[in-house]
Amino acid sequence: MTDYNFIGKRIPRVDGLAKATGKATYTVDVKLPGMLYGKILRSPYPHARLLKIDTTAAQQLPGVRAVITGEDVRQVRYAFVDTPRYPADEQPLAVDKVRYIGDEVAAVAAESEAIAEKALSLIKVEYEILPPVFHPEEAMQEGAPVIHDEQFEGTSFWEEWGVTEQKKAVKQNSAVNNLSGHTLISFGDIEQAFRESDYCREDRFELKATAHCQMEPHAAVASYDPLAGKLHVWLSTMGIFLKRYFLSRALNMPASKIRVHHTFVGGAFGGKIDLFPYEFCAAYLSMKTGRPVKIELDREEVFMTTRQRHPIIVKIKTGVKKDGTILAQDIKVIADNGGYRGSGPVVIFLCHGFSFPVYNVPNYRYEGFSIYTNNGIRGPQRGHGAPQIRFAIDSQLDLIARDLGLDLLEIMRKNVRKKGDVLPNGDQLNSCGLTECLLGAAEAINWQKKRKQFRTMENAGRYRRGVGISLCSMFSGAMYYPFASAAVVKLHDDGSATLFTGAQDIGQGSYTTLSQILAEELGIGIEDVHVVAGDTELCPIDLGSFLSCTALVTGNAVKKAAADAKRQLLESAAELLGVEDLTRLKAQQKTIFLEDNPEKTLSFSQAIQASVLKRNGNPIIGHGSYKGYPRAERYPSLAKGKGLFTGAYGFAAQAAEVEVDTFTGKVKLLKVVTFHDCGYPLNKTIVEGQIHGCTSMGAGQALSEEVYLEKGQLFNPSFLSYRLPISLDTPESIEGIVATIEPSGPFGAKEVGEGCVAGILGAIANAVHDAVGVRIYSLPITPEKVLRALGRI
Amino acid sequence: MKKKIRLIVNGEEKVLTIDVQQTLLEVLREDLGLTGTKKGCNQGECGACTVLLEGKPVSSCSLLAVKADGKAVTTIEGLAKGGQLHPIQQAFNEKGAIQCGFCSPGMILVTKSLLEQNPNPTTAEIKEAIAGNICRCTGYVQIIEAIRSLVP
Repeated sequence: MTDYNFIGKRIPRVDGLAKATGKATYTVDVKLPGMLYGKILRSPYPHARLLKIDTTAAQQLPGVRAVITGEDVRQVRYAFVDTPRYPADEQPLAVDKVRYIGDEVAAVAAESEAIAEKALSLIKVEYEILPPVFHPEEAMQEGAPVIHDEQFEGTSFWEEWGVTEQKKAVKQNSAVNNLSGHTLISFGDIEQAFRESDYCREDRFELKATAHCQMEPHAAVASYDPLAGKLHVWLSTMGIFLKRYFLSRALNMPASKIRVHHTFVGGAFGGKIDLFPYEFCAAYLSMKTGRPVKIELDREEVFMTTRQRHPIIVKIKTGVKKDGTILAQDIKVIADNGGYRGSGPVVIFLCHGFSFPVYNVPNYRYEGFSIYTNNGIRGPQRGHGAPQIRFAIDSQLDLIARDLGLDLLEIMRKNVRKKGDVLPNGDQLNSCGLTECLLGAAEAINWQKKRKQFRTMENAGRYRRGVGISLCSMFSGAMYYPFASAAVVKLHDDGSATLFTGAQDIGQGSYTTLSQILAEELGIGIEDVHVVAGDTELCPIDLGSFLSCTALVTGNAVKKAAADAKRQLLESAAELLGVEDLTRLKAQQKTIFLEDNPEKTLSFSQAIQASVLKRNGNPIIGHGSYKGYPRAERYPSLAKGKGLFTGAYGFAAQAAEVEVDTFTGKVKLLKVVTFHDCGYPLNKTIVEGQIHGCTSMGAGQALSEEVYLEKGQLFNPSFLSYRLPISLDTPESIEGIVATIEPSGPFGAKEVGEGCVAGILGAIANAVHDAVGVRIYSLPITPEKVLRALGRI
Repeated sequence: MKKKIRLIVNGEEKVLTIDVQQTLLEVLREDLGLTGTKKGCNQGECGACTVLLEGKPVSSCSLLAVKADGKAVTTIEGLAKGGQLHPIQQAFNEKGAIQCGFCSPGMILVTKSLLEQNPNPTTAEIKEAIAGNICRCTGYVQIIEAIRSLVP
């Protein structure tokens, strides 16, 4: 590996001390003079028509400053997906109908939270209860209650950017009821390939909704300045520019009249991208009252009314040759996106996009449906579709291996894609360490030995052990608003630099890795880098911290900005040193020297000061930018899967060893192994931290986590009843970093923060099968399901 | 109903008139501006609001402030002394035990209490000690490593 000063090193987080001392300010900590507190009245019914809302008593309660209902915001529509095909279907407060338990009906701003709470109880709402539907396969049937019967109008989100050729809404597949999104992708000749297969198998898998469980609850503070016509907001968000854009459309204000201020973000995991009604209402109430307004959701509201991971049904038919070579795969995915579209059309596209880079399947048909139901809204969650589809595909591949008497490892090895492969959509795998990841993970879990050992009589008692393995992949950024990230590097006359970046550190460590990139490229120390981030007024545009774009896309922008600053610095130094050829100059540790005469040096300070004095006051400001995917012209088609998806895929292989208690059905996760191809680790501690976080979240989803809904009512809206992993669940963890050096990545880096949430599910399910000889087709693998499969209950 | 209480917060005496319904968390965050103590769930389940009451960890969201009358409270703001970080804060930062940081104040205070009672805990004892503090970012691995690094 190349010897860098900062890249690849275990540099402590630059924001670590602020967080360790309690000084880091999160949105929930923001308190402004004269601030009012907002609360939201929510629907108790999963599906009902709004007949009448009477807010008179609430308005008259002393201390109440404003009450708003759907009548005030009738025209406002926005959504995570807002394209000509899929126009925005959300409104901040219900206008004609409520569509899930928790749907927003009215909002109050008052002098205290207690008064706002009291005011909610004084609002009288009359509903006409409508028949609800909760299961997507029932909702798809003819005659099922229709959840969205309104007419959508207006221009779409993307049209303003000139990135669409379609101007009219496309009529959707009317054969399916409550359809919110449809994806159909195929290549090769699937029927012919099934006929040529030696063995075919069809299975159905199911995954339940899960919760993000960010430790910081969702909150917003808004403060409207009527004189300047400017709205200031503090939001717990993953992408300040996307959020500003959503808000500007919803409030019908120019984007520049909205300023998103920096706050630290107490975890996001995909659940803080969408514009939420509480954010809109905080802004609207501030504009109405002329006072700052804060709305903080309580934990139950976070579970119920923000976003959940899509529960998904996957049906797969796979045809293979005798030796396990995959010939054909026919995949059907049904995602339940709840009462509003959320990211439904995106997740059914990404189930394909995050999975097809793993195996070379020459004949393929993929069809995805996202369906409205009267459940809570579903949105992106770490891996966004990858855990669901990877669990299904690799569970089935393990079954095929067992049916054919082959080793799963060998089947995987035979079918994985390799460096140099071009995917059916045109994406190129310029780096791909799938084989190395697979072999590394198999060795670390001791695959060959344990697979044999666990088939002996020793493993026939009450407690039985097994091992399993699975693979996954993930984008490193893509084309979506604002389609590029930019960075500015400003040099100070003491030789240090300030980085201006729109990228928000959501806990993943981007302020640190971006500082490392800047320090390495420019030749200064980490302590010389000051980060100004997450502020739409001060910082240049950025894609935001999702789709795993920060390391590669923002990282490249920062690297370019640092290089630009360095070029100007060297130009100034060259004049002082009397050198014409800039390539003779090197910069390190804030010093510039001649490579062929290292005695001749100049400090950064001297060169910067000289630049200011000699070059028309030029203080040296470097600019850099990088497109979400330079080869791509526009965003890919969600419906057809056409177009380029991402410039670089991250890959991982994950293995698990479990112990199953055959008396209680309880599965204990003993060991997890992740070998991740992240291109090149910018910071090993941070890369390992991402792997640990992913595997823990994936293990939770595999074994215990489920948003438990009964007739649309959430039964476990608290951490203890939801049952996410706690410290006692922590297994032995082994991580391997496979450095393939992605050519387009900054210092070779690509994705690490999301992909490896996905492989652990299949690894655990396959390990359980290995241990007790039964297949669990539905996650989470609860003791009850294990005992049922074993025939004990 | 209002009541006057006396708290020793990070070694400093505070006399406050509070509503008897207020939790210790609310008094710390709202009345004293000590926002390092976090409200993660307000249900006593996540541990983000952990403070030390007479040296022992408590969920400040589930304790009425009047119950802390006359007692010593240590919050995360009380750990670093004279610009010098506490060794636990150092270790957490160096070992990658902090990601989003929202659980960190509670996690660090629980660790302080653990190491004072048991300077030489096993890994199992460490896991047990922090079992009431939820972290979604780290999968606990680097938190456990950070605490282990403080064990001689």
